[in-house]
Amino acid sequence: MAVTLCRLLATDYWFVMNDFASRMLRLDRRLIFLLITVVTFLPLLYPFGLPIRVSPEVQKIYDYVESLPEGSVVLLSLDFDPSSKPELYPMSVALLRHAFRKHLKVMGMTLWITGTGMAESVFSQVAQESGKEKGTDYAFLGYAPGGANVIISMGQDLYAAFPTDYYGVKTADLPMLKEVRTLRDVRYTISLSAGFPGLDTWYVYGKEKYGFELGGGCTAVSAPRFYPLIDTGQINGLLGGLRGAAEYETLLDMKGKAIAGMDAQSATHFLIIFLIMVCNLFYFLGGQRREQRG
Amino acid sequence: MIFWKRSLPVLLTFILGVTFALQYYVPHPASEALLSEVSVWNQIIAGFAAILGVTSLLQVHYVKIRRREPGWGYSTILYLSMLITLVVGLWSGGESENSAFGWLYSYVLVALSSTMFSILAFFIASAAYRTFRARSTEATVLLIAAALVMIGRVPLGEYLISGSGQVSDWIMTVPNTAAQRGILIGISLGGIATSIKIIFGIERAYLGGGRE
Repeated sequence: MAVTLCRLLATDYWFVMNDFASRMLRLDRRLIFLLITVVTFLPLLYPFGLPIRVSPEVQKIYDYVESLPEGSVVLLSLDFDPSSKPELYPMSVALLRHAFRKHLKVMGMTLWITGTGMAESVFSQVAQESGKEKGTDYAFLGYAPGGANVIISMGQDLYAAFPTDYYGVKTADLPMLKEVRTLRDVRYTISLSAGFPGLDTWYVYGKEKYGFELGGGCTAVSAPRFYPLIDTGQINGLLGGLRGAAEYETLLDMKGKAIAGMDAQSATHFLIIFLIMVCNLFYFLGGQRREQRG
Repeated sequence: MIFWKRSLPVLLTFILGVTFALQYYVPHPASEALLSEVSVWNQIIAGFAAILGVTSLLQVHYVKIRRREPGWGYSTILYLSMLITLVVGLWSGGESENSAFGWLYSYVLVALSSTMFSILAFFIASAAYRTFRARSTEATVLLIAAALVMIGRVPLGEYLISGSGQVSDWIMTVPNTAAQRGILIGISLGGIATSIKIIFGIERAYLGGGRE
């Protein structure tokens, strides 16, 4: 009698568990959206301010910029559009601040037409706060169509690729570009890229032929595919996603938007890991059988 | 007609393909001058290609609106957005600083694009909950690797689990790099093979139009 009762209870228990697990696997996604909203907003309102470890690939870019002599020409190509602004905009600000702090001459451009206005605003804002003068300390060339062809064209003759800068001034007349005829005269190029054309285009068509040193920055999702290029020396460093930008801000000892966003990213990463663990727990508790039957 | 539509493009592709494949290895001033000239031509062609792209886009959406196909309302929005941007852009003389065009860019395009990208976080979380399951050995390995990288890439993970940052770095620089390198070599070999096929006229799909 007792054994039968136990068996019945056990059967009932497993039935209830299976039912609960399969219900949990079909959890309303709006609840997940709500959880993400909460764990994103709370750290933004109440930051924990945890220390950020600097990875070797970010350190290499920082060290290279540090090693450049004053007055060296650096090219910053902001190859992204507003959709990647949260990750790549803080990188642009940090790199520009570093370059201006080192008194380097910065040449800016973009291979993405929809990113032109945003790229220009980064240059003008950071230059203004650093006390740098347009045309003398920096030049913003804007956008030119053609992707890879623009790079080849700049490698052959910069003034032909960009006859005027973004503001309509002849590039040949810009004091900053007096000594810069081609990409061979550029000491360091950094492409902050959200896709194609971007970092890949710069190392295939630019670095290989014109021999400048190249560094890169990209969104977190595309970072893994650039790691082989670091080993081979095709790029000398990489800023990957918001984390890469936050590491660079840490090196510069500045409190920027990337560092501010890292706590929110920490919390959302942990929430996603928790959700994955929970869904696998329910999957093995019985949802798996229901799913297979269903 | 076949000469203009097929033979001439194939001949031009062959001549230009061979010329510029060899040009890379010839650092003579004449060869460099040729590259300089052609790269400017290419930029001009790319400018016209953008016009062609816009025309094609408008044509596709015009057909959708005319036939009242599902989602034709979105095509109307596309037409309106393009028209408004064009009119405002011309009215502002292309100036983006302190102009209506700049306002449209900063407060419409930038805001909408950033919103589209940021909602990805919500969909990733929802998709991870629904599909990221240890159904097989391969899926389990992927799941564990993803969790370790996610923990090691954020300060909270490194704070709570000491050494997780190094583990994450190792996954990225060793197994990830090895796999990515394999993919990259495969893509490159495929690219070279396709280029050779195009240059020698074996692959003609780029000409469009179907059978000769």
